[in-house]
Amino acid sequence: MVSKLENFFNAKTFCVVGASTTPNKPGNVVAYNFVHSFPGKTFLVNPRGGELYGQKLYKSVLEIEEPIDAACLIVPAKYAPQSLEECGKKGIKNIIVTTGGFAEIGEEGIRLQQQMFEIMKSYEINVIGPNCLGIYSPSLGFDTMFLPKSKLNRPKAGPVSIFTQSGAFGAAFIDQLSRLGTARWVSKFISYGNASDINETDSLEYVGDDPDTQMILIYLEDFKEGREFMEKAREISLKKPIMGIKANRTETGAKAGASHTAALSSNDAIVDDLLEDAGIIRVITWDQLEDCVLAFGTQPLPLDDRVAIVTDGGGAGVMASDMVSDCNLKLAEFSEVVQKKLDETFPSFFATGNPIDLTGSATAEDYRIAFEIIYDDPNVDSIVNLCIPVIPDLDISEYINITKEFAKRDKKPFVTALVGGDEADYASKELMKEDIPVFPSPGRAVRALGMLTDYTRYLQKHGIDPKQIDVEEGK
Amino acid sequence: MNNEEIFEEVKQQNRTALLEHESKEILRNIGVSVPPSKLVQSTEEAVNKAKEFGFPVVMKLMSANVLHKTDAGAVTIGIRNEEEVVEVFNDYMLRFKDVEIAGVLIEKMVKKGLELIIGTQDDETFGPVLLFGVGGVLVEAIKDVVFRMCPATKKQALSAIHEIKATVLLDGFRGMPKVNKDELADMIVKLSELAWENRKYIAEMDINPIIANEDGLFPVDARIILQ
Repeated sequence: MVSKLENFFNAKTFCVVGASTTPNKPGNVVAYNFVHSFPGKTFLVNPRGGELYGQKLYKSVLEIEEPIDAACLIVPAKYAPQSLEECGKKGIKNIIVTTGGFAEIGEEGIRLQQQMFEIMKSYEINVIGPNCLGIYSPSLGFDTMFLPKSKLNRPKAGPVSIFTQSGAFGAAFIDQLSRLGTARWVSKFISYGNASDINETDSLEYVGDDPDTQMILIYLEDFKEGREFMEKAREISLKKPIMGIKANRTETGAKAGASHTAALSSNDAIVDDLLEDAGIIRVITWDQLEDCVLAFGTQPLPLDDRVAIVTDGGGAGVMASDMVSDCNLKLAEFSEVVQKKLDETFPSFFATGNPIDLTGSATAEDYRIAFEIIYDDPNVDSIVNLCIPVIPDLDISEYINITKEFAKRDKKPFVTALVGGDEADYASKELMKEDIPVFPSPGRAVRALGMLTDYTRYLQKHGIDPKQIDVEEGK
Repeated sequence: MNNEEIFEEVKQQNRTALLEHESKEILRNIGVSVPPSKLVQSTEEAVNKAKEFGFPVVMKLMSANVLHKTDAGAVTIGIRNEEEVVEVFNDYMLRFKDVEIAGVLIEKMVKKGLELIIGTQDDETFGPVLLFGVGGVLVEAIKDVVFRMCPATKKQALSAIHEIKATVLLDGFRGMPKVNKDELADMIVKLSELAWENRKYIAEMDINPIIANEDGLFPVDARIILQ
């Protein structure tokens, strides 16, 4: 069966209803996006008629002679039912309603949304929204995000698909991804808002089946079809990582009931366990989500949980080690040959255990030697590269090149934390130009490895070899 | 009676809570073994059953008006002889003379052990979900529990068993008996299926405590609340 969202992303003719001639108005932005990026045929509708971006403005969808596959309604809420009805008469089956002012504002809005729902049912229309950003796919040329590029920058095509209940979250995260590294991240973005029809479960089903989606990122506040969502997630998470935020953690407490089970059944306690059981990596904070994109989007999965740390500062190494145990990871014990080589190679005042502390006398070459010795150690599953670049003998350009080289070797996850001021910022920026995962603290770098390792464990528990999962393939 | 007949009968009596002996009949029906027990109406019957099961026994008052039995003093454990059986029976009849009673449940007493809980709850978002964890009276204070969706597979049940913080206690911690996790997982699966298949009837269920000792797994109290 073709999923509802497939019809949207497969559309060959698209209509913008409410195309505005006033610059930067939502209807103007969306019209601009489609006229300039959509490879199919775009039709613009505005009751006043005229012309926009060299295209005719039809006074009504009913004036258009060709069949329309999908449309975006950008009209005030009170005109939306009438507009939707006309689209129904025209035979448009897939419609995005970005406008707000529906169920989210209270009684009057609920009535309007109900009215929309009835029209939708009688014409068998699939609806995304209302109160949402709609869809964005840089490779397919869909962009109903009604904020101009001068305000909301667009990331380029990549392996990550995102769906979100909150449009504001979506806008912020999309903007964030547009300046994360090369910005090559997004496959499909779906903001479904009030979910009058298409919801989290439809979205998950679509991106789960989508061959261009290598990883799935979600933002939810509640579930419309919780049971179906978890069942689908359980299948999909064996093929591609799903991670995200389920916010609204404290709102619904446990209901009073006659049993201990009822008393312990707070909504979030259940959600937390069911997400984990379905293989969804739950993150709590916004920064973790970006870290997820960086780690999963650029590094292979580790085959086990043994971490090697290389540092030029004792404190950073100790903090990273603490985070290793907080994330249920282990410090690798180097194999005999590797340990011997480390001991023989480095001066006695370097610490050659794990963490390897190259101390304040470290040069970039010392980093290279250390990585070269430990990289292929079968006892090491992942590597943390910590650097406080204030030390005198460290050539930052050389260090950057070495880091790039090892992060791109692609046999084991390799994460970097650069801690400090301008020099650290400079090196981070240089690395990020090539999507080398670099974090501003040892803790975040290790936590990113922890998330990768959690997913490895989940796959292995279900008899799947983590080597089969390759997110970067999509880049 | 089969499960549906029990649920229907309880509904017809305008009750939402099954009495313990009714809940245990449901458990027996789905193949979850419970300690030998019998609902009795007289001291003679009580004494006969106690002798049949062997001492010590436990006696519990079954009444729709007394759902929190321990709080109401309607559970007596460690009854060692016939005289005590008669004494407890008469004491119940005296103290609870004003409430409608279904009888007294007399049950073979189970040796001490690790107390576990398996529960289910018809969640508004996910439908029936099951809970597994450390049971007993402190369950709500300890909160060492894990949730799964019903019906759970055996694999999910086993992963739930491994996910509780106290999972180490199940492996023979400091001389404690090892818990048969396979049997425990089967019990979780059966109860999750019960909650799923009877979701139009069952709102909540507490099998607590389930005592795990050297002889096996014993659900010693069971509570089923209807929709």
